[in-house]
Amino acid sequence: MAIMTKAQAKNFAEMDDFMLELCDFLKSKSVIDATTHRSILLKGFSRMVDCLQEKKVISAREAKEAMDKGFTSLVYALAK
Amino acid sequence: MYGWAGQRLRVDLSTGTITKEPLSYEYRRKWIGGRGFNSDIIYNEVPANLDPFDPKARVCFGVGPVSGTAAPSTGRVTVTCKSPLTGGFGDSNMGGHWGAELKYAGYDQIVVQGRAKHPVYIWVDDDKVEIRDARHLWGKFPREADQMIKEELGDEDIHIVLIGPAGENMVRFACTFNDVWRAAGRTGHGGVIGSKNLKGIAVRGSGTVKIANPKAMMDVCNRLRQTFKPDPMKIGLYEFGSLCLINVANRDGWFPWRNFQGGAHPLANNMSGETHAKTVLKHREGCFACPICCGRFTHIKEGKWAGEEFGGPEYEHAVPTGPRVGIIEDANDIWHNARLTNDYGMDGIETGGVISAAMEWYEKGLITTKETGGLELEWGNAEVVDKLIPMIATRKGFGAILAEGADRASDKLGLGDKGHYYTLTTRGMTLPGDDPRGLGFGYGLSFAMGTRGGCDHLRSLCCLELSGALYPGLNTKILGDERPNKPVTTVGKPYMVFYEENQKATTDCLQVCCFTTHWSYAVLTPDQVEYLNAVTGLDFTEEEFQEIGERVYNLERAYWARQMSGAREDVVPERFTTEPMPQGVDFQTNVGVVFPLSEMLKKYYKYREYEPGTGFPGERKLKQLGLDYVAKDLAPLRSKYLSESEKKKKKYYY
Repeated sequence: MAIMTKAQAKNFAEMDDFMLELCDFLKSKSVIDATTHRSILLKGFSRMVDCLQEKKVISAREAKEAMDKGFTSLVYALAK
Repeated sequence: MYGWAGQRLRVDLSTGTITKEPLSYEYRRKWIGGRGFNSDIIYNEVPANLDPFDPKARVCFGVGPVSGTAAPSTGRVTVTCKSPLTGGFGDSNMGGHWGAELKYAGYDQIVVQGRAKHPVYIWVDDDKVEIRDARHLWGKFPREADQMIKEELGDEDIHIVLIGPAGENMVRFACTFNDVWRAAGRTGHGGVIGSKNLKGIAVRGSGTVKIANPKAMMDVCNRLRQTFKPDPMKIGLYEFGSLCLINVANRDGWFPWRNFQGGAHPLANNMSGETHAKTVLKHREGCFACPICCGRFTHIKEGKWAGEEFGGPEYEHAVPTGPRVGIIEDANDIWHNARLTNDYGMDGIETGGVISAAMEWYEKGLITTKETGGLELEWGNAEVVDKLIPMIATRKGFGAILAEGADRASDKLGLGDKGHYYTLTTRGMTLPGDDPRGLGFGYGLSFAMGTRGGCDHLRSLCCLELSGALYPGLNTKILGDERPNKPVTTVGKPYMVFYEENQKATTDCLQVCCFTTHWSYAVLTPDQVEYLNAVTGLDFTEEEFQEIGERVYNLERAYWARQMSGAREDVVPERFTTEPMPQGVDFQTNVGVVFPLSEMLKKYYKYREYEPGTGFPGERKLKQLGLDYVAKDLAPLRSKYLSESEKKKKKYYY
């Protein structure tokens, strides 16, 4: 499910430090709530990927790819 | 109760009162132990304006719920006080066996307050606690006093915390040892202990730690011990101790040559772990339940110092009174200086920091032999360093000025801004021997933000950038990106520092060694939560666990805020941000690099929810962390910090 545009994905992919802004973006789109936002910041990227997979925002294959290739892969998956 | 002993021992040396205070479930759950318990006591019981040497000041020794268990390296103890060096929050932690012994004696924490009429030591023998005469121990080196107490009490297996002569003389960077050689080096609590006329604390414990789920505990401990075997950092630390970093530091240009004028030197290998192992290593030593055994024991075989022996050195112990003061040709001079700072009981980092600052003042003509009492402070003058270390510890001659620490010494000599340029401090404490222009930009950011001033590897070192490349996929798992494992980049560093500071704080609340977790990566945060729950029988989640680290960090930051220290003090020495790294060796990787602090600082503030103007922890964050009372304390101070009169003040220490 696309929750951002390709241009937004490109913008995230070019960021030096993306974690907080991506969490804020996911919260603004109601993909995650405040509790999950906090949980991701405390636990790290793997928590974000797990959460997006649990919510079926990304597929199992996309989740695996995100863990292998990192956040750039994830944000482009979020733009599909 | 499982895990915790469930009580705090409080000793008032003015009145001789000894009390045992129960620690409630809510309290233990909020702070876990060790650094958390200590930070809470210091925040609540030591006011911002109190002189750290006032009898009312506290010094705390804290252990955690897994201390004394079979989890990896559970012998650590945090020592906390209001720092006489910085005037702000101060803590430091040490390995050894004392922490586990304290737990077996039935205590999670000791708080010492007051001042004895004459030198004393505390003897904790399970339930029985005595304050004993130590007049005969005053002036003794820790290794001498340790033996004398053991003979006096007729027990070789006692574990003892001790200060040396520097602590007795209230040198502002005196430290504390246990098991003779394991030091809690930083922030000067040895001086606070000395100001209380306390020589040490001997402990004998015959109890045990109750484990809620022994099978689960053994399963996780066995599993983790297997993961250590092939761990690359574990192997390096075992083989060569923390001196294994010397050649890495030299290659990547973070070797602090002459007070960070340079970052590499052709002779660095003279003092590498590899050379040390071939020439002066007598044996390796491990702390309680440690699967790594990074401890060294050194025996100097040749030259002027032949026959000298001591426990150590660590990288951070050898580098400051070695290359930082320009000594590199004969490593025996470096080992000798480490032995001296051990015996006199001083933080090797600040000792080297203040001597190297003085050498640079001398080089630049800010001081002459008139101020130094005839000492010629040329770089690499090993003879003068050998003289100065005892002079500092005993506050004799020029040593009395240096005993105040680098920033205060600069002020006492009236050197103004020029003097402070060369002190290389953050919030009044000298930075350790690692140049952020090479070791990493995350590391440099954590220098600026450390809650005890210029910090070192035990506080907020971002190992994801130091050793992350040895663990493919780990940076992605935590940060979502492998690029932050490159030291000289800003990519991913603000989040890295936020994450690592929380992680280090919880590790210090458990009181396990950070070399076992997020240095080597054999133990990750979920593993720590697993053994914490197996020991306590509770149901900590990873989020709750990391949130405790965040709570501790914010409380410590608030302690500084209460002293009017905030955004304006979030800096690193100008040398790192303005002087491009020069070339020291052909293979150096960071020539020309400067450290870009401001690029990362703004983003880091957002993770922490610090107010942009003051840099104080925000009210919403404090309330979220259950620190409503701290939010109330800070409310009236926010506008004061932003007032014109405060802005005009130059604050190097408090």
